[in-house]
Amino acid sequence: MFVRRLLLAVLLAGAAALALAFLVLPLVAIFVHASPGRLLSQLSSPVATDAFVVTLKTSVGAQALIVLFGTPTAYLIATRRFVGRSLAITLVELPLVLPPAVAGIGLLAAFGRVGLLGDSLGALGITLPFTQAAVVIAVAYVASPLYVRQAIAAFETVDPNLVAASRTLGAGPSRTFARVVLPLARAGLAAGLALSFARGLGEFGATIMFAGSLQGVTQTLPLAIYAQFDQAQGFDAAVALGAALVLVSLVLLLSLRLLLSWPSSSSTRSSFRFGLSTSG
Amino acid sequence: MAGTRFAILVLAVGVAASAALVSRASVASSRITVYAAASLTNVFPKIDARPRYSFGGSNTLAAQIEQGAPADVFASADSVLPRQLFAKRLCSKPVVFARNQLIVVVPRSNPAGIRRVSDLAGSGVKIVIADAGVPVGSYTLQVLKRLDLTDGVLANVVSRETDVREVLAKVALGEADAGFVYATDAKAAGPKVKVVKIPGRAQPRIAYAMCVVGSGSHTRAARAFVHEVLGKRGQAQLRKAGFLPRPKSKRR
Repeated sequence: MFVRRLLLAVLLAGAAALALAFLVLPLVAIFVHASPGRLLSQLSSPVATDAFVVTLKTSVGAQALIVLFGTPTAYLIATRRFVGRSLAITLVELPLVLPPAVAGIGLLAAFGRVGLLGDSLGALGITLPFTQAAVVIAVAYVASPLYVRQAIAAFETVDPNLVAASRTLGAGPSRTFARVVLPLARAGLAAGLALSFARGLGEFGATIMFAGSLQGVTQTLPLAIYAQFDQAQGFDAAVALGAALVLVSLVLLLSLRLLLSWPSSSSTRSSFRFGLSTSG
Repeated sequence: MAGTRFAILVLAVGVAASAALVSRASVASSRITVYAAASLTNVFPKIDARPRYSFGGSNTLAAQIEQGAPADVFASADSVLPRQLFAKRLCSKPVVFARNQLIVVVPRSNPAGIRRVSDLAGSGVKIVIADAGVPVGSYTLQVLKRLDLTDGVLANVVSRETDVREVLAKVALGEADAGFVYATDAKAAGPKVKVVKIPGRAQPRIAYAMCVVGSGSHTRAARAFVHEVLGKRGQAQLRKAGFLPRPKSKRR
């Protein structure tokens, strides 16, 4: 009996250690390959700085779109019961499981010059492929489910009694949304945004198909890593860019943990306290 | 009790499965693996359907071989990359097996009205080329330099793709107005694209070279494959696909 338990414990610990080593080793290898000095010099190269700027610009643009359109969508899905609601949820989540290359093909087929909307867009003087706008669209398409899912969950945990109370105290729907619902769902929304931002930073497949890859215009960090990888002296640069992305992702994930350990918005008492502290 | 036994069973199965996976990864199969330039995608399987093929940008493939990829043969769209691998003792002495020409392709509808290479410098033309590290990308830059079009055309480049077939695809789809590819790619794309010739004085020397990769486990079969490509049938297939015959001086 005791022997068996010991055996189990050893096996469990062994499996867990292997799993962790497997996950961490590639990341460690990146930092072993690039000494801090070389890393910094590689990161100040024009390819790297251009990729940083493009990534930052397009990510901010994409996340702004996601928040702007994703928040109302999530609120609607979370608070109303309507015909086709579960279909709406499925559609919102679909890009999450879709291979990014499929998303890229779809975006080309829809918004490309010869795509479904190509003629209408062309009539307005808009061509999307190979532009920074195309990167924004690709990132928004692929990353949005992470925000919307989390936002739906966050809105669902808002106590309807608090909303009702706000309404009976005379606040209109938009005031209630801004002063009661949003503050209560804030941590969840921020967590969703962090996840979606992290996913967007790594976007590759849809971007390279829909937006192409041009330094300073559409070449984001992952595309720059791919382009550098097979250049003559590029492997070091690719590793340096990779190291930078690892660090950024780590920071994002840590802030996500912090966000989610904020006072839980599902418990009425703590959220009430939370509400008081923000208003006071 | 039963739970403990089940957990042990699950763990044991997991360990066995991963062990099997690891051993599979290293066990060599009987087929050879050929790493070949993207422009050879259509013709190589016609010469020999047996090998496992990995087509891509020659520079990507060379980088993978340097990182220890299990290639038996490397067929590049230039002779520089195989020579570099040879210098690093990663493959045998390269042999030239075909030549090619660079051309410009435009979508069949030719939305930008390209008739000559110089039209590519016109304003608003969307051009796709391959990255400078890919052989076809460096040939493209050579042509532009010889025609004194470097600044005008590079200003119109909207994307630098990772291999020649990506360039071809974006033009054939109609998303780009023009792209620089090999004559053989235009042939493979059929009626989806139209060809604009590049003047002979600007044509770069495009020689495809191949070598037997040292780390591969089938040196013999790999050498046989090289012979097949150099042989009568192989050369006939290459010509049929639009490649130019290899130079006559038969130095091996």
